Amino acid sequence: MNHQNREAGSNDERLDRLFEAYRAACPDVEPGADFMPRLWQKIEARQGVSVVFGRLARNLATAALALSCLLGLAVSISGSHTNALPGESYVEVLAEDHDNAALDLEPVRFTPAAEQN
Amino acid sequence: MLVDYELIQRAREGDGPAFNQLVGAYRKRILGTIARLIGRPEDVEDVGQEVFLRLYYSLDQLRSAEVFEPWLYRLTANAAYDYLRKRRRRMESRMADLSEQQVLLADAVAGEKIDRDEGQKKRIRDAVDALLDQVSEEDRVLLTLKEVEGLSLKELGAIYHVKENALKVRLFRARQRVLKAFAAARKQTAGVSGS
Repeated sequence: MNHQNREAGSNDERLDRLFEAYRAACPDVEPGADFMPRLWQKIEARQGVSVVFGRLARNLATAALALSCLLGLAVSISGSHTNALPGESYVEVLAEDHDNAALDLEPVRFTPAAEQN
Repeated sequence: MLVDYELIQRAREGDGPAFNQLVGAYRKRILGTIARLIGRPEDVEDVGQEVFLRLYYSLDQLRSAEVFEPWLYRLTANAAYDYLRKRRRRMESRMADLSEQQVLLADAVAGEKIDRDEGQKKRIRDAVDALLDQVSEEDRVLLTLKEVEGLSLKELGAIYHVKENALKVRLFRARQRVLKAFAAARKQTAGVSGS
């Protein structure tokens, strides 16, 4: 038990020394002379992209609004010209239209092949 | 704090020169932290740019100027995670990535048996980098912030929004995983050397 504790302690110390050496081995990084200009270029580029997307989104929204207005208008005009369903529901019109078709409906008879023979 | 609250407030309101001053005050510290978090000096500036870009676009979400520093560290840690994840996907890192020489070097460094010139420093960085690649990005960033960057538990608590006791547990487990990876690599190297 003591041996294990000693070993764990010594491993911890070794790791601490390794980190210490790593800290000493990492150089201080001096920013390049173009650090700020490059940063502002990136900021402006991203702003440019967001401006383009914003403009595109606004145009799309306007187009969608105009299209929905046009469609609404078209539907209301066609609705006033055609009286396809005057005071009747769709199902009632359908039933009227297929009144005769119902007469053709015979129950389906199934005759097994053996009986036929 | 390296800057006063008024400057942060002005930057939040979209004042460009104030933002420049803010970046100027923190960039060296942040680049240093990133260098230790990712272990690749050649990529530090790109990750640093990403941190300050995120800073610019999220400054308006900052609750108050008092929490600016932990919040900036949080952005830094997140950018480092993202970089390390992408790098892992590119490299498909495996246990075997820690070469025999790297294990021997890490072993010697841990045992204080080595003088460090510039070439040696690079090899130490590569060896520790490869060792930390054996654990998750979360473990790596947390351990580096604590053990290499030297942040206190209180500071880490403010960054991670986690209580100190929970952090202690996470740190302990992360250390255990690194030690396990180190031991496994040493065992593997001993096996290779022995055969």
